[in-house]
Amino acid sequence: MEKVLEVKGLSKQYAKVLAADKVSFDISPGEIFALIGPNGAGKTTTIRMISTLLTPTDGDAIVAGYSIKKDPAKVRESITYLPDEAGAYKTMTGIGYLKFMAGLFTSDPKQMNEYIERAKSINGLGERLNDKIGSYSRGMIRKLLLSRAVMNRPKLAILDEPTSGLDVLNAIEIRKTIKRLAAEEKMSFLLSSHNMLEIEFVSDRVGIIAKGHLLVTGATAELKERYNAENLEEVFERVVKDNEIL
Amino acid sequence: MKFFNLLQKELKELINAQMIMGFVLVMVLFFVLSSVMTDTISEAVKQEYNITISDQDDTEFTRNMLSELEKDGNHIRRIDTEGDDYAAFLKDNDLKGLVIIPKGFTESIESSDKPEIISIISMKSASMMSNLNTENSGTIEVLRKYISDSYSENLGISDDDIEFMEKPVTITEKTVVNDRWADVSASSVTGRIMLQSAILPIIIFILIIMTSQMLVNAIATEKIDKTLETLLSAPVSRTAIIGAKMLAAAIVAMLQAVVYTVGFSTLMAKSMFSVSGDMMSNMETMSDEVTNAMSEATGSLMSVSEGMTRLGLSLSIADYLLVGVQLFLTILICLSVSIMLGALVNDSKSSQTIMLPLMMAAMIPYFISLFADVNSMPMALRVLIYAIPFTHTFTAMPNLMFGHNGVFWFGIIYQLLFFLVCMFFALKLFNSDKILTVSLNFGQKSKLRKNQKQYTDE
Repeated sequence: MEKVLEVKGLSKQYAKVLAADKVSFDISPGEIFALIGPNGAGKTTTIRMISTLLTPTDGDAIVAGYSIKKDPAKVRESITYLPDEAGAYKTMTGIGYLKFMAGLFTSDPKQMNEYIERAKSINGLGERLNDKIGSYSRGMIRKLLLSRAVMNRPKLAILDEPTSGLDVLNAIEIRKTIKRLAAEEKMSFLLSSHNMLEIEFVSDRVGIIAKGHLLVTGATAELKERYNAENLEEVFERVVKDNEIL
Repeated sequence: MKFFNLLQKELKELINAQMIMGFVLVMVLFFVLSSVMTDTISEAVKQEYNITISDQDDTEFTRNMLSELEKDGNHIRRIDTEGDDYAAFLKDNDLKGLVIIPKGFTESIESSDKPEIISIISMKSASMMSNLNTENSGTIEVLRKYISDSYSENLGISDDDIEFMEKPVTITEKTVVNDRWADVSASSVTGRIMLQSAILPIIIFILIIMTSQMLVNAIATEKIDKTLETLLSAPVSRTAIIGAKMLAAAIVAMLQAVVYTVGFSTLMAKSMFSVSGDMMSNMETMSDEVTNAMSEATGSLMSVSEGMTRLGLSLSIADYLLVGVQLFLTILICLSVSIMLGALVNDSKSSQTIMLPLMMAAMIPYFISLFADVNSMPMALRVLIYAIPFTHTFTAMPNLMFGHNGVFWFGIIYQLLFFLVCMFFALKLFNSDKILTVSLNFGQKSKLRKNQKQYTDE
């Protein structure tokens, strides 16, 4: 089956820091892939390059058949991106925000309505959608943003730290939504997280990244077995030790 | 369609309750200012002939003189004073001003010495309007007339002789601008131009600051709230995003310009009108001389506009259009510079600080245009001041008026080039990684380096 995302030796050199060094992995349709690693490991830089926000200094990534270097506009039509700690326009109402964002993905009013209805059913915010976003809690904003990121059924939804800063119940709800959309609608997800225990529950495959290097990729169960570990945190510890990274 | 969606969002963000409150506040401020001005002036004008006099001499001559004063319809309040504790005189009688006819006044007149009249005015502040107390000077003018009349009667000199002696030459003032001349005084032309163009620099200044602040905030807020990344990853071009932001700021700026101009000029006109109205109604109670002087003054004021047309100082519609074009270029420069400044902001504190360079670039030419003529400055200073692109906006009107067309056109071309260069770099910045990575942290470590350090520490 054709891959939704193929990352080929993606690198990003900042003035003094090599934030990503020849990162390569791929994602199949309906798969949830998670980049895990500590803060500053290069997760966000990699994700921003795939989202066409940053230009790579080397390598390329192919999203739904389009190169992020040669065809960034086409890539943006195939993805949605939910940044880490993202906010929404505080003066807009929830529904106003969904309308605005839907208007960026389509100019067809019928399709726009479909998107909004779908977002409404996913976020479950109900009447609160008519309130200003400024009055929302962090969990509500996250639900709104997640529903926005999946409302148009993108080929690839890129979610940077989707549950960071949320309480347990909200985090569980977000994780369930992601799992359901992948299972039922065959949507593909690229997630990132520094919370390795949490990511174990949601992702099919993970990539362990540290200091800009993608050290290992594989299914969670397979990695646990390979490194004889109880959980992903232990896998991470052993991988890092093996590679003498820290 | 997508662009319209973006534009609509930007406009909705800019035109909010805060901005409307700002509008209302400015209008209220204009209104209060104009009515305060009107009140102070009309009060000053009305009080003119409410006179308090202390007649220490108290002779037949002084009594006749005062009753003559009363004949003109003036209300005279007499008080008794003694000695020279002037502050106490005003305080005890709750007065703003007092005229004292001292002892020996009549004697001096009879012996043809110069008699003395003491005028006391209480000063409470240095503001121009509050010291507009013409009470005493008006009274003294009438007394002086009475005394000189009585002298001339004694000496047998006619009024005409006196007038001739007072004004032995007729001074005809002519003003020359470039190669034209007119029968107006240079000071009255200056006064008229000041009055006419008092509004424009303020509007320009407000426009520069407001427009820039709007766009800087629009970009900075997106960065701070982390909505910019979402927007940039959507299937719209970055140029469309920045274009919508610029257009929205420009539309709102124009809206503000119209509101301020209309508000400012109608209220200015209103206060000017009511002042002259008060003066007119007071004229009836004034003596003939004052009325004559007044109408003379108004007469010459009216001929100023005629004179200005003859001097080529009046601006044609084409000139106003040119000033409009320059104002538009100014806004474009503000917008392009603001994109770059907004991109540098990463927190709400620095979004205020970042405005400083633009503030200075607007403030310097604003004040210089109020107090000095850039064209007559030494070459080096002139080049330096004209290097600030906004200077050309402030000097556009006077330059067109006085025929410095070369300087004006240079200004337009300079501003156009300045805008194109700024816009080029702004778009380059916005279309590169820098829009997300660049920041002015004012001595702080960048987030990336902080994270890197934290990571190394772990």
